[in-house]
Amino acid sequence: MPETELIQFSGIAIVLLLVAFYGGTFVVSLLIGKKEENADGYMTAGNKVGFGISAASMTATWIWAASMYASATSGYTYGISGPIHYGLWGALMILFIYPFGRRIRAVAPRAHTLAEVMYARHGRSSQLMLAGSNVVGSLISLMSNLIAGGVLISLLSPFNFIQSVFAIAGGVLLYTLWSGFRASVLTDFVQVLGMLGVVAVLLPIIFFAAGFPAAFESGAGNLTAQQSNFFSSDAFLNQGAPYIAAVLAYAIGNQTIAQRLFAVREDLIKPTFITATIGYGAMVIGVGMLGVLALYLDVDLLNGDPNNLIPQMAALFLPIGLLAIFVLMIIGALSSTADSDLAALSSIAMADFYGQTVGKENAKPKTMLLIGRITMVVATAVSVAFASMGLSILDLLVFVGALWGALVFPVIASFYWDKVTNKAFTVAVIAAVAVFLPVRFSWISMDGLVGPIFDIISVVGIGVVLGLMAFGFFGLRVGKIVGVAAALISAPFSIGFLHDYATLSGSLVTYAVSTAVCYLMSARSTDSFDFALIRQRVGDFDETEDLDDELARFDEIDPDPLAGGR
Amino acid sequence: METFLLTAYVLMWPVLVALVLFVITRAFLREWAQSRREGRPII
Repeated sequence: MPETELIQFSGIAIVLLLVAFYGGTFVVSLLIGKKEENADGYMTAGNKVGFGISAASMTATWIWAASMYASATSGYTYGISGPIHYGLWGALMILFIYPFGRRIRAVAPRAHTLAEVMYARHGRSSQLMLAGSNVVGSLISLMSNLIAGGVLISLLSPFNFIQSVFAIAGGVLLYTLWSGFRASVLTDFVQVLGMLGVVAVLLPIIFFAAGFPAAFESGAGNLTAQQSNFFSSDAFLNQGAPYIAAVLAYAIGNQTIAQRLFAVREDLIKPTFITATIGYGAMVIGVGMLGVLALYLDVDLLNGDPNNLIPQMAALFLPIGLLAIFVLMIIGALSSTADSDLAALSSIAMADFYGQTVGKENAKPKTMLLIGRITMVVATAVSVAFASMGLSILDLLVFVGALWGALVFPVIASFYWDKVTNKAFTVAVIAAVAVFLPVRFSWISMDGLVGPIFDIISVVGIGVVLGLMAFGFFGLRVGKIVGVAAALISAPFSIGFLHDYATLSGSLVTYAVSTAVCYLMSARSTDSFDFALIRQRVGDFDETEDLDDELARFDEIDPDPLAGGR
Repeated sequence: METFLLTAYVLMWPVLVALVLFVITRAFLREWAQSRREGRPII
């Protein structure tokens, strides 16, 4: 396969592309802009967004630049099953949160952030743990998207990396700043139309232009046995399994999902999240197939960098006009996530750092809005600064992922079990992170009995993960049965070797320790929390509403949380 | 046969994407039309 010389757009062409894209999204945001924005609307758009916009927004938000690049890299590295082990489990992060989402909305129908609900449930320390992890996660996500945009534009144009980062950051801030979450959600719809439309049309074009399906036969020799095996154990253990373990952690820890959970009309939660699951999965796996095609074609990666794979494949097989549209698709993907991160950060600042500090009754909506907008500007500046410095964020990302994993059981249990205390919550999270670090970074030797002991803890973690997933859909009894069965079945296959996979072991021990500590401390508690208090403590900050909005308000549902079947 | 299966495996995803796009677009247009009838903003 000859080496690729990537097409370069002229400076004028890239500027026109970016102006068309960001100018267009700015006009869309102007259409819904209000002279006096409502503070709650700025955060959750009135809690009654329809299915079309919600599903589109959820899909667009969850598809970020890394989704596509990582899926294609997974296809190129692990072969035909690679994109599945990235896209499928990533899609399930959306799906598995929705049954818990219905309970969360029933308990706190007017909440803006999960951390806000944790404050009402437990108090400050729980809230700050969750809010803090949300902030770091969103900043990392924002930074990653700016870096991805910077790399893409600098690769395909005369502009350098820093100029490109500024262009992307400025464009996103321009259309998100005034109307916040409402602008983010509506522009997500426009962006997802473009993203899904491009994938539906351009992927088949690339497929046939690259000489497929004939190339499946001529290129079969370029794949190893593992890469050509749909049931590759290599792909599962190195890509799929760690991602499965992260499913609930990312769903709980990411404010962009929670924000949409609170925004969508309550009876539309299920169809919204199911549609977003399918949309995200199909799009990301589809783009990941570019990596598989590149493997069959024996494409040499430009500069040896797998992040160049997607632009390379597009540049090799698309005419320049379609290539420009493909570039816009990637910019759309990273912008839709970036604007969601800005909206998430502003809502945390508004609700958690300002609103809960001064109290709901004393919060001033105008001050709240100002804080939200300032947060967006500061977050953008910080992300641009870190992106420009080229700092490695991998370790920080690993730490935040661990914190989210440690939060999963305490957060979910707090919505169902009246005995969970603030102390149990806090100690469980700290203990879990303390155990995670030495396992994940191999600070301790796994020789002798140490490895199998951690394997046993990991097996408990497997039970916790699968048990929680089953609990969400089928209730407590089924959750317990699935959890115990999963642990027992996986034990013979895991004990003795799982500790060789530090990433996977780290995640699983985190779940196990946080669950065990939280459960044991809470079971001894004599407290019994009244969940009705949450609805009283968490509500709107800005009571000014349009009459039209009031006419469209719907009643909330109140499901029995521990009954089977959802 | 294997070529056929691999082709179906790769091309099924853009088809699924097109289906989701149709569902979302149809729902959005209905919501937009309803909001116009009721004289309120769509979001």
